[in-house]
Amino acid sequence: MTTPTDGRTETGPEAPTPRTAPITWIRSLFARTGVAVRGALRRRDGRATLLLVAGLYSLTYLWALRDLTATGPGGLDVFVVSEPITTALTPLSPFLFEAVARIEAGPVVYLFRPVNVALGVGLGLLVGVTLAVSVVSWRGPDACRIGAGAGATAGVPGLLSGFACCGPQLLVVIGLQASAGLVAAMQWMVPLAVASLLGTLLWVGSRVRLDPDYSRHRN
Amino acid sequence: MSHTRRRFITALAAVTAGSSAGCLGRPDRPSADDGPDGEPVVDLGVPCTDSGGSVDLSGGRPAAAFDGTRATPEATYADGDLPLRGTPLHLGHERSALVDGDMSGGVGHDGIPSIDDPRFARAGDVELPGCARVFGVALGGDVRAYPQRVLVHHEIVNDVVGGEPVAVTYCPLTGTAQGFYRGGTEFGVSGRLVNSNLIMWDRARDVRWPQIAATGIEVGGQRDTDGADRHLGQSLREFRVVWTTWRRWSDRHPETLVLTEGTDAARNYNRDPYGSYEPPVSGHYSTEAGRQPNFPLLAYDSAESKRVVVGARTGAGAVAFDKRTLMESSVLTGTLGDAPVVAVADEGITTGYVYANPEGLPVERDGDAYAIDGTSAPPDGLPLDRLPAFDAMWFAWHGFYPNTGRVEI
Repeated sequence: MTTPTDGRTETGPEAPTPRTAPITWIRSLFARTGVAVRGALRRRDGRATLLLVAGLYSLTYLWALRDLTATGPGGLDVFVVSEPITTALTPLSPFLFEAVARIEAGPVVYLFRPVNVALGVGLGLLVGVTLAVSVVSWRGPDACRIGAGAGATAGVPGLLSGFACCGPQLLVVIGLQASAGLVAAMQWMVPLAVASLLGTLLWVGSRVRLDPDYSRHRN
Repeated sequence: MSHTRRRFITALAAVTAGSSAGCLGRPDRPSADDGPDGEPVVDLGVPCTDSGGSVDLSGGRPAAAFDGTRATPEATYADGDLPLRGTPLHLGHERSALVDGDMSGGVGHDGIPSIDDPRFARAGDVELPGCARVFGVALGGDVRAYPQRVLVHHEIVNDVVGGEPVAVTYCPLTGTAQGFYRGGTEFGVSGRLVNSNLIMWDRARDVRWPQIAATGIEVGGQRDTDGADRHLGQSLREFRVVWTTWRRWSDRHPETLVLTEGTDAARNYNRDPYGSYEPPVSGHYSTEAGRQPNFPLLAYDSAESKRVVVGARTGAGAVAFDKRTLMESSVLTGTLGDAPVVAVADEGITTGYVYANPEGLPVERDGDAYAIDGTSAPPDGLPLDRLPAFDAMWFAWHGFYPNTGRVEI
C-alpha cells in the first residue's frame, strides 16, 4: 500500500471518483480499507497496537461509565442478580444497560453490564484498528506513510464517545447547566462516536492506494 | 486521553463558574459545608464529626419477618386505588407550566429502579458511620431508617409501614426526602424532572407526580387506564420523613429497622454518583459558588441556591425557613399565605416542624420541649395543626413556589 509523501492521495489515472462512479468509489474505499486493515494486522506492531489500544480504551470506557472504580472496602465479594439474562437486556437509558453482577476485589468495585462491555470493546476495536493502520503506515517505508494526522484524527471520536457514556450525570458532576436539547443530543453521542470512528477508518483507507506489490511490505 | 479530558472538564467548570458568578449571587456567609470539624454542615444545620467507620448493610430480611412490625397492609385498597388529600396542595405555577417544564433527566422509564421488595436489619446488626445520612420514618408504631447511600441509587422504596402501603422517596438533585401513602399502587421513577425534581409515576395509571409538588400534573403513556385524568390537580397524602444522621436517628429510636443493601440490583453503594455529604461536601451537594442547579428552573432567585430550607405548603400557600438558622434559633415565625406559622427545631434529629399558628401564640424553648399556651410539648407534638414539611435545597423550593413566604433566607 502506498501514498505520496506530500500527504495527497494518489489515485492513479484509472481510479474512480465520487462524482464519476460513486458506487465503484465506495466499493474501492471499503476494499482499500480492508487491505489496509489486513495489512496492518499482519504485522506484529499492528496487532500490538490494536490489542493495547482496544484494551486501554475498553478499560477507560468502563471507568468513564463508573462501572470500574476504586471504591471497594476491601475483601472479595461477588453478587449476581436473580435473573441475569433479562436484567442484562434491560435498558436504563440510551446505550446504557442494567448491570448483572457486582464484583468487589480489594479496592476495586466492578459492575458487569454485558451489553456495555460489548459496546466498549467494539468501540475500542474500532479505535485500535484505526490506530494500528496509522502506526504501521507511520513506521513503514516512506512510500507507505499515511501521516501523523490519521492517528490524531482517530483519537477524536474516541474522546467523543467517552463523553457519550456518562450522559447528563457528567453535567451534574461538573456543575454544568443541562438543557432539553443537550440531554437529547447526549443520547446520540454513542452512535455519533461509532459513525465518526468508522468514518475515520474509511478515511485512513482512502489514503491507501491498492498496490499489487503491497505484500512486499509485510513483515 | 483522560488527561486531555480532565483538562477539558476543568475548563468547562471554570467557564461555568465564571459565567454564573454575579448572576445568581453568592453565599451571604461562609459556606457551612467545608468548614473545620464543629462547623454546621449544610444539610443538617448542625455539626457532625462522627463520619468515620465502616459500612456493613448486607443481607437483611423483609420487615414482616421482625416481631412486632406492622409490615403487611391492614387497610383494603382496590388495585390502583390511591389515597388523596381532601384539598389539593397549592401550586406555585399553573399546572401547564409544570408540564412545560417537564424534561428528560437522561434516564428511561424506571431507568432508576425503585426498591419494591425492601429488606431490613436491626440497628445493632449493621455497621454505618454515625454521620451517614438516613431518612427516618416513625409511622403507626413502626420505625425505619432508609440510608441515603442506598436511596441515591433507587430514589423510591415501595414499603409497608405501620400497616400502610407507603412510598419513601428521595430526589438527590433537590435534596428532598418525602413520604407518600400509595394505597393499591406503587410508585416508580419516570426518568423525567421538573425544577430538577424527581417526577414519580404511579404504576396503575401512569399519572405523573413531581415529588415536591406531590400533585398530579399529567398522564403518561405507559398505561391505558380509564379515569387517570381525575387525579390531575389532586395531591397525594403525605407523612413525615426526617433527614438526619444514623447516629442521631438510632439514638432516638434504638428499635429502628434499617434498610439494607440487600436489593436485587447490582449497584455500587459505596459511590454516590452526585457527590458526597461527607465533609467537605462535594459535587452537586456543595454550596460553592458555581455549583448551580443543573437543569432549568421555572423561577430563579438570588439567594444561595443549595442552602437547605425547611419548607411547608398547604392549599393556601407555601413557606420556607432557613434550616441552619432554625437549628440555631430553635423557634422561627413566618406567614403562609396570610396565616401565621411557627417552626420549631428538634436539634436531636436535626429537623424542624412547621405548625399553623392562627392566633399567633408565643412559643418558647423549654429544655428539650417547647412552652406554648401554658403547656410544654415536644417539638413534633405542639398543640397546633402540624403541616407537612420537609428539607429541600432552596433553588428547588423557590422553583416550585416563587411566591413562597421566606424566613431568614
